[in-house]
Amino acid sequence: MVAGLVQILLFQGLGELAARFFLPLIPGPVIGLVLLVLWLRLRGGVPESVDVVATAFSQNLGLLFIPAAVGVVMFWPHIRSNALAVSVALVASVVATLAVTALVLRLLAKEPPE
Amino acid sequence: MTPALPAIHEIWVYLSGSPLFALILTLSAYQVGVMAYERAGRNPLANPVAIAIAIVAAVITAIDMPYAKYFEGAQFVHFLLGTATVALAVPIYKGLAALRGRIVPLVAALLAGGVTSIVSAVGIAKLLGADAAIVGGFYAKSVTAPIAMGVAERIQVSPTLTAVFAVTTGILGAILAHFVLDAVGSKAWWQRGFAVGVAAHGIGTSRAFSVHPEAGTYASLGMGLHGVLGAVLIPVVMQLLK
Repeated sequence: MVAGLVQILLFQGLGELAARFFLPLIPGPVIGLVLLVLWLRLRGGVPESVDVVATAFSQNLGLLFIPAAVGVVMFWPHIRSNALAVSVALVASVVATLAVTALVLRLLAKEPPE
Repeated sequence: MTPALPAIHEIWVYLSGSPLFALILTLSAYQVGVMAYERAGRNPLANPVAIAIAIVAAVITAIDMPYAKYFEGAQFVHFLLGTATVALAVPIYKGLAALRGRIVPLVAALLAGGVTSIVSAVGIAKLLGADAAIVGGFYAKSVTAPIAMGVAERIQVSPTLTAVFAVTTGILGAILAHFVLDAVGSKAWWQRGFAVGVAAHGIGTSRAFSVHPEAGTYASLGMGLHGVLGAVLIPVVMQLLK
């Protein structure tokens, strides 16, 4: 558990350093993610300790959004005065994205439908 | 009775001054959200994150705690978003095997979906007269929230607004996916899962896992690839537009 966390934090640190000095437009954790994927490819497998930590994170990802999303309180008057645009854009965009992605897959996939 | 009052007050002053209060509030609100979700038979409408956000927002409003003060304590939870982003490498690595033989349709669908999400959200918001700050929050809203917030900082729009839109998108996607995918005649689990991951990132992915494991694997692949692609392309596109 601790060993896995140390490795993930190490890659986060590497990513932050790379973002700071070489790739200022890309968020550090994303660079860390890519480096970790490359490392796992090189290694040819996921160490169990890393797997345990990654699973714990992905199962509780929602918890980590809460502090930022509570910021809705701060923006509430602002959002409310744009309520129509915000709600239509959010709903229509997610419906369009789902539909387009699924349609492109259905048209390009050569497998016979199940 | 009277001597107890100042004591309670002192405890309160101490707690609200330390990160402990914000941490307890955030974690217990999430716990209540998860319990309500389980109690509702994992109904997508009872989204645990949405419930937790509503509880925390209601409590800090009721006790008149400024958001900045709450965040000071809750930032320890917030910090882990970056670590969780790096940890996404594991599901992506595991999903890479699933790419084999399907790489062309998946990459084409990812690009089409990513472009659709930005153009539709930004276009509709502008068309309906939203102001610049609101429109800015829509650029990164379809990539998973930890990456979206990092991108928002890079392109100088509000990370908070972006996170709120990203989380709402995830919740809406988790609720609506079933109906939309049926309407466009999508049947294979891998296609349905991937579409949910691209459109509704983390919250959609956890929903996909609870429906079918193959859908979940492809959803996390879709979420991860969209996150990486978005992080690379959104700032570049914004730079070109300026």
